Amino acid sequence: MIKFWQVAAFVFFGLPITALTAADSDLLWSLRKPSRPKPPSVSSLKLASQVRNPIDRFVLGRLADTGLEVAPEADRRTLVRRAYFDLIGLPPSPRQVESFIQDESNDAWPRLIDSLLDSRHYGERWGRHWLDVVRYADSGGYETDIYYRNAWRYRDYVVKSFNDDKPYNIFVQEQIAGDELWPDDLDLDPRRVYIVSEKKLRHLEARIGTGFYALGPRVHESALDAKRLAYETLTDWVDTTASAFMGLTVGCSRCHDHKFDPFTQKDYFSLQAIFATAREVEQPLWNAMGEADWRGSYPRVLAVVEARKAYRLFDAQTRNAPLSPEQETRKQRLVAAIGQAVLALPERTGGQSTIPYDGLMHIPTVSILGRAHPSLIKPVHLLERGELGQPGEIMQPALPAALALATKSSPLLSDPFAARKQLALWLTKEDHPLTARVMVNRIWHWHFGRGVVATPNDFGNMGQSPTHPKLLDWLASQFVDGGWKIKDLHRLIMNSATYRRSGQFGGMRSLVEDPDNRLLWRMNRRRLEGEALWDSVHSAAGTINLALGGPPIAPPLAGDEIASLREKWHWVVSADPAQHTRRGIYILVRRNFQFPMFDVFDAPVTAVSCPVRDVTTVATQALWGLNNHTVFRQAMQMAGRVVKESGEVRSDQIDCAWRIALGRPPTSDESLSALRLLENLEKASTVPLEQPPETLKAISPDRAQALAKLCLALFNLSEFAFVD
Amino acid sequence: MKLGLSPATREILASRSFVINPLRARRDFLFQGGLGFGALALGDMLNAEDTESRSLALAPRPSHFPGTAKSVIFLFMQGGASHLETFDHKPLLTKYDGQLLPQSLQDFDLAQINTADSKVMAPQFPFRKYGESGVEISSLFPRLSQHADKMAIVRSMHHELFIHGSAMVMLHSGTSLLGHPSVGAWVVYGLGTESNSLPAYVAMTDGMFRNGASMYSSGFLPAVYQGVDMRAEGTPIQNLQRPPAIDANQQRLLLDQIKTWNREHLQTRPGDSRLAARIANYELAFRMQTAAPELIDLSTETKATHELYGIEGGPSERFGKMCLMSRRMVERGVRYVQLICGGWDAHGDCKGNHQSQAQKIDQPIAGLIADLEQRGLLDDTLLVWVGEFGRTPIRQGSNGRDHHPYGFSAWLAGGGVVGGKTIGATDDFGFNAVEDRVHVNDLHATMLGLLGLDHERLTYYFEGRDRRLTDVGGENNLASRLIRA
Repeated sequence: MIKFWQVAAFVFFGLPITALTAADSDLLWSLRKPSRPKPPSVSSLKLASQVRNPIDRFVLGRLADTGLEVAPEADRRTLVRRAYFDLIGLPPSPRQVESFIQDESNDAWPRLIDSLLDSRHYGERWGRHWLDVVRYADSGGYETDIYYRNAWRYRDYVVKSFNDDKPYNIFVQEQIAGDELWPDDLDLDPRRVYIVSEKKLRHLEARIGTGFYALGPRVHESALDAKRLAYETLTDWVDTTASAFMGLTVGCSRCHDHKFDPFTQKDYFSLQAIFATAREVEQPLWNAMGEADWRGSYPRVLAVVEARKAYRLFDAQTRNAPLSPEQETRKQRLVAAIGQAVLALPERTGGQSTIPYDGLMHIPTVSILGRAHPSLIKPVHLLERGELGQPGEIMQPALPAALALATKSSPLLSDPFAARKQLALWLTKEDHPLTARVMVNRIWHWHFGRGVVATPNDFGNMGQSPTHPKLLDWLASQFVDGGWKIKDLHRLIMNSATYRRSGQFGGMRSLVEDPDNRLLWRMNRRRLEGEALWDSVHSAAGTINLALGGPPIAPPLAGDEIASLREKWHWVVSADPAQHTRRGIYILVRRNFQFPMFDVFDAPVTAVSCPVRDVTTVATQALWGLNNHTVFRQAMQMAGRVVKESGEVRSDQIDCAWRIALGRPPTSDESLSALRLLENLEKASTVPLEQPPETLKAISPDRAQALAKLCLALFNLSEFAFVD
Repeated sequence: MKLGLSPATREILASRSFVINPLRARRDFLFQGGLGFGALALGDMLNAEDTESRSLALAPRPSHFPGTAKSVIFLFMQGGASHLETFDHKPLLTKYDGQLLPQSLQDFDLAQINTADSKVMAPQFPFRKYGESGVEISSLFPRLSQHADKMAIVRSMHHELFIHGSAMVMLHSGTSLLGHPSVGAWVVYGLGTESNSLPAYVAMTDGMFRNGASMYSSGFLPAVYQGVDMRAEGTPIQNLQRPPAIDANQQRLLLDQIKTWNREHLQTRPGDSRLAARIANYELAFRMQTAAPELIDLSTETKATHELYGIEGGPSERFGKMCLMSRRMVERGVRYVQLICGGWDAHGDCKGNHQSQAQKIDQPIAGLIADLEQRGLLDDTLLVWVGEFGRTPIRQGSNGRDHHPYGFSAWLAGGGVVGGKTIGATDDFGFNAVEDRVHVNDLHATMLGLLGLDHERLTYYFEGRDRRLTDVGGENNLASRLIRA
């Protein structure tokens, strides 16, 4: 019997009969169900001795066909630095380096990996990767760059999800449809007012995942152009969903059928229809008792209002004449009264001490997706050429037809109020051809600097073909069979010989025949991202504040750094100096004004999903390293740390500085030239250091300034900025 | 161009093929475009480090075909200058002053007022004919209009975005959505730069960048093509000033040592040109510390030049300085200069607003044209004047005008443009562009065309397809018409 949806597919999509009967092999590789290929047998490999796990069998099998030379294993010093930066984005301390080097047990490497995966900083590093994919920002961009005051809760949700090793299928489901899949948490348990049950907290967390959709680009004035606002919001939602979870670029289908992929304009607007019933809502993060506490404090809010009113009345009466001394005194008192009233506002509810107010009396909330009121839902039309002025037929929520067929699923989604749920469940079907492949490839890309598919957001015909298709499929099957666990994937990849290869090897033939190292005959060298470089400088200086989570922070900026910001008050410098040295992931991300250092170091443009960060080399990076006030201050701090840890002897200081900055002792040549540099710098008369750290005062001012400048030089080394 | 590379290498680099693919561009530039390691000896690479300090992505490259312009000065009237008070004379508005628009024009969306119930407002300034060509310009620009015979005025600009945020994104990147490269980024991607001590693409504003960094963004192009926001006073580029405790000699000491250590690092890491480029960039940074302050130091310019640009106090001083600096940039090989004049958003008192806005730019732009011409630079330098939209023929409040994207004006001069002509027209009410319509994509195609770049061939692969500045538009490319008399 032909089911309803099949008829609908014909009627609705006008599909040719052949599409239904198309053989699997006619499909694009990425839409075919992944099989679980067998890795080449070890005995068949020339370099059998190098095999550590199945990954190596695939990679060496491919290399064997070419006869390219293969790099030897990297030394332990290189490996430990590689592992730290890769998994937690922070440099190992000199002690951590030495303890790994001296650990001669067989399982030293796997234990190192496990301990790094257990670190809470792992989630910060890998969560930041994911934030690139979801175009994370704390503001809307365009003209007024409206502030999203609780976008950071989604960021913290991502960090926590990685740290918890949340299965990836659940992670996907939560972000697309946390509210539809776990709808119950809106009712807070009336009998347990102060403590919310574990289960409800879990469901609340799932809903925070839909914050994915509440932090896209938005035109402030678009309320004046409501149709366009709705359209562009849906465009952002659909394009980002397809890029992030499906590895497909569907944006072109907004205007015409996709030229290269089996993706039609109807598919595109059907996807928009899936999101048509959703709207952004602000969900309070407290329970009934917390709210009662807040209401109980309301007279304190009134006190602020009254104090302000009193000042304004005074001001209106006295504005036109100079103030008498009595009036001046009264004015000071009125101003102070406002301050007192503000300071008296409570910062936390009585019961839930763990949830502070978001600034003064703001109720703590999170922006997530919810259901629009049925009467407010606007139908989604197919738009000719993607233009608002040319609405065509009304679209129903549906999965992309060709993809639905490839997965033997019904394209039409029966319940418009559970369409996102159905989309999420379909995407996380175990045999879905894209979801696991796309994520496994992302993980591979973030480990190696290049994906098996080099275009992680484009698994379509225009994307690059996989360099190791069987490896990709094997990894994807392994991933799904193991319960979608990302940490297991890290273990698998990092325990391979492929991952442990040296990046310094330069066999001439390999360089000539495969200069891009597509076949992985060596490890790729990687420049630290802006955040990792920021974290490294502060780690070396010993000033890094490793606190986890919370609202974004804004470090102070020099006048020349903030010059291009339209409204200077958009950058409210965090009052507590300890916040200024937080990890880079916590620095405010404004769409209109990137943190200047990140801007210089290729931070993603947050308008659309960013699958691969650029690595450019520009002079403004050198200017930052040489002249930036923060960098120089951190160089002074590092000098202070060096003195504290190594004492007053110059050669000891040099040794210590090298170990801190580069994770290795200096060569004898380096020691000598560093010594000469110190002496030359000491001789030159100079402006004294501003506010040197206490520990640096243990040596003479001449020597202190010279040592600080040596530390600055270390921050500027290629070796500091690159990981082998 | 002084590339220390073999002619064959130069040719391949010049072909742009090495940056066409982002995945390749991101990696070793020197190995791109089918260029194996063997084709480029290590010596060449180190040589490149010494003599060619800018990133190879910025090396000058030949255009697709011979263009008439080599560099661009983009004069952006932020907020939206009224076409009806400047370059598009509509006498009918005087006749219908105080009346409703015809029925056919009453159904257009606007930002703050309704087309159906707002009344027509007469042009606030008289127009007359200028130059031999007799082009009509309002009385707002007494000095600029002396150059009427050098200007080609486009009176049929249009798009459909009536909100600043979206409209500015459109004017700068050809679409309404964030994340696309700005025009200057495309131009530098296409042509590279002639300067080896200054940024290829400079953006300056007399107040603020109303749309933030998206106005000079590299979007999905590599960040090396992003504009540098340069300030006219103080430190022109961020991080240009050494920390107080480091003087020039000490910095040289440090730089030499950094270079030595970085070279040793490079030697044990074959086949990674990023490391060589990085070393070179430290030398470029060192030079920029001198070149950029020198650029904005106008004390070496004569008094006559200062007067020419209107830099002697008064309303034109600030923009005058920016115009003079932009001439100095063009002289020094900067490829694309964007100057922003803010404050045109005349929702109220359109007359008073435009009067004082015009005083800020009239003499500076007139001076710039005259100065470029007397130095023989005007033929190579394209000037483009435009805002994100024009203003409504109907009144907002008692005497203002709202945003109006359906028909507005721009002009081009220099860079091979034969002036004294007008292109296109709006209807009698100055409402819709009706003749020879020029979309923003068309204006961008025209700019690229004058630079010798084919807007359909200047592409970059991103997210599934080869992207263009002009998206799917740009059919009405005016370039060939503009360079004819």
